[in-house]
Amino acid sequence: MRPTRRLALIGFSLVAAIVALGPIIWAVSTSLKTSNQIFAVPPQLIPTEATIDHYRRLIAEGVHWNFLNSVIYTFSAVAIAVTLGALAGYALVRFEVPGKRLLLLVFMGAMAVPGFAVLLPTQIMFSNAGLFDTRLTLPILYAAHIVPFAVWMTRAQFASLPRELEQAALIDGYGRWEAVWKVLLPGARPALIGAAAFGFLYAWNDYITATTMVETPQLRTLPVALIFFQGFHGRDWGALMAGVVIATLPPVVMFLLFRRYLIGGFSEGSVKG
Amino acid sequence: MATPIKASTGSPARSVRIVDVAKNYGATRAVSGINFDLAPGEFVTLLGPSGCGKSTTLNMIAGLDLPTEGSIIIGDRDVTTVKPSDRDIAMVFQSYALYPHLTVFENIAFPLRAKRRRISDTDVRRKVMDAAGSLGLEELLDRYPREVSGGQRQRVALGRAMVRTPALYLLDEPLSNLDQQLRVQMRSELKDLHIRLGATMLYVTHDQSEAMTLSDRIVVMSNGRIEQVGTPQELYHQPTNLFVAQFLGDPGMNIFGGEFVDGRLQSIGVDLWARHRIGSLTSRINAGIRPEDLIAGDPETARLKGTVRTVEFLGSRALLRADIGNTLVTAFLPAQLKFVPGQPIGLDPSSDDRVRWFDAQTGKALDSLGPQQSV
Repeated sequence: MRPTRRLALIGFSLVAAIVALGPIIWAVSTSLKTSNQIFAVPPQLIPTEATIDHYRRLIAEGVHWNFLNSVIYTFSAVAIAVTLGALAGYALVRFEVPGKRLLLLVFMGAMAVPGFAVLLPTQIMFSNAGLFDTRLTLPILYAAHIVPFAVWMTRAQFASLPRELEQAALIDGYGRWEAVWKVLLPGARPALIGAAAFGFLYAWNDYITATTMVETPQLRTLPVALIFFQGFHGRDWGALMAGVVIATLPPVVMFLLFRRYLIGGFSEGSVKG
Repeated sequence: MATPIKASTGSPARSVRIVDVAKNYGATRAVSGINFDLAPGEFVTLLGPSGCGKSTTLNMIAGLDLPTEGSIIIGDRDVTTVKPSDRDIAMVFQSYALYPHLTVFENIAFPLRAKRRRISDTDVRRKVMDAAGSLGLEELLDRYPREVSGGQRQRVALGRAMVRTPALYLLDEPLSNLDQQLRVQMRSELKDLHIRLGATMLYVTHDQSEAMTLSDRIVVMSNGRIEQVGTPQELYHQPTNLFVAQFLGDPGMNIFGGEFVDGRLQSIGVDLWARHRIGSLTSRINAGIRPEDLIAGDPETARLKGTVRTVEFLGSRALLRADIGNTLVTAFLPAQLKFVPGQPIGLDPSSDDRVRWFDAQTGKALDSLGPQQSV
C-alpha cells in the first residue's frame, strides 16, 4: 500500500473513531468534573480535580431505581420476545400452519411500521385495557416490538438446521420439547443471541414509548428519568453526563460478552434460510 | 483396530411385523399394501430405486411418520401410533445426523442421557467406552463431528445406535455418503456388527449389491409397493417379476420380447423355446436370461444371433455387450474367447431351465406347468 493511501486510511479511521467515541469520552470526562470545571475555558479532557459527586447526586435523586426499571423492563421484554419468537419461528418451519405466508408477511409488515406511528392508538388501547402506566406496560410493548424480528431471525436459523437432528433426538429417547431444547436451540444460538441483542438495544434505548406510556415517576425508565435533569434542575450537566455514562455501560458490556455470537448471528441469519 | 465387544446376553432383539401399511400425502399415495416381517435377530433390507417408498416405510417404523392405514408391531406391542422415543429403536441416518455442538463422546452418550433411562454417569462412561472401543473411536472422543472424517462420522453414528441395546436397529442408507473403498469396508464391518450384536436390523438402500451381501432377506420395492420378499438367492434365481429380475444383479437380467407361439419366442435374432408348458393365456411373453447363463455359440445356429458391440476384460472373465435385434444383451464369457466389436456372434442359454418366462403385460413370472408336450 502506498504511504499516502495508508496515511489517508489512518486519517479516516481517526476521524471515525473521534466521531464515534468522542461524545462518550467527553461524557465520561464531564461526569467526573466539578460543576465549575465543566464550562472552563479552555476545556479540559482530563479533569484536574476529579469528583464522583454527580454520581452521588443521581443516587440521591433515586435514579438507580429507574436504572433498575430499565433493566427489568428490558430483560423481561427480551426474554418474552425471544421465547415467543423462537417458538413461532420453530412452528413456522416445522408444522403446516394455515396462512403461513400471510403470517410471515404480517410479521414483516409489523417490523416496517415505525413504533411512534402507532403510539397514540396504542395508548388509547392500553388505557381501555387498564394497562396504561403500569409495571407491565413497557415489557409488553417492547416484547411486541421485538417478536417479529425474533420470528424472522429464528425461523431462518431453524430452517437451516437439518430435520434429522431433531428426529435423531426423538429416536434417542427424548420428547419433542427436550429435543428442541437439547439439539435445536444450541444450533440456533447465533440467531437467538442476535435477536436478543437487537431487542436489548431497542428496549434499552427507547425513549418515546417510555415517555408516552408511563407517567408515574417510580415506573420511569432511565432515559426518561435522565431527561428531567435537563429541564427542571436548571441543566445539571454533570449529573446528566453521569447518567449517560451509566446508561451506556450495559450495552457495552453486553456487546463485549456476546461479540462472537453477534457477528455470527447476523451473518448466519442473513446468509442461510 | 476394533476390539470385539461381548455378544449381548439375553438379547433384546425383537420381531417386527408390518401389516397392510399405507401412507398418503394429501391425494398422493406414497406406499400401499406393505406387508413383511423380521424375525428376531434378522437382517432385512428394503431395496428399491429412489422414490420407491422405502424411506417412507422406514420413517413409519421409526415413528417419524404416521401410517394412513395398517399397523406396525414390534415384539408383541402394536406401536403404530407410539412416539419414536417409546419404540425402543435406534436409527442411523443417511446424513448421520450427529449433534454438531456435542463431542464424539457426548454424541454417543446422548441416548443414554435421556431422563427415561436413568443411567449413572459411571455406566454411561463405561458403555460409551465399550462402543467407542469396538468401533475404533477411542482417540476421537474429545473431538467435534466437524473435526472428524466422513468414515469416522459414520462410525460415531453407528456408535450412537449401538451404545444401547434396542429392540430394533433402523439403518437408512448409512453407507451412501462414503467413497467406494470405505463403503465396502464398512459393509463387512456392519455385517460383523450384526452378527456380534445379534440384533434385528432393518436396512434401507438403493444399492442391490449392498443388499445382496448384507441381508438375510430382501424386500424389493418400487412405486410404493412391494415387488418381492425373499433371500438374496431366491430373488436372484426366482424373481417373481420383470422388475426384480432387472433390478437385481449387476448387470441385470437380459429380457427378450417377441412373438410367442407354440412354446417358442421368436423375433429378430431370437429363437427361444420353453422346455415346460407355461401357465399363461396371453401370447405377449418375455424371456429373461442372466448374463452369466449365456454361453458363446455358433453365429449361424445359436438361439440368439447378433453383433458384438463392446467387450470389457474383467480378469477372470469378459463382459460382452451385443446387439441382438433391438435388445442390448450382456453376457459374461470366458476371458480367453476373443471378440471384436462388429463381429457376428451367437449366444445360447447354458441350459433351458436357466431361461425365465414373464407375462409381458403384467411383468409377472410365469410358472411352469410341467413338461411341454410338443417339444
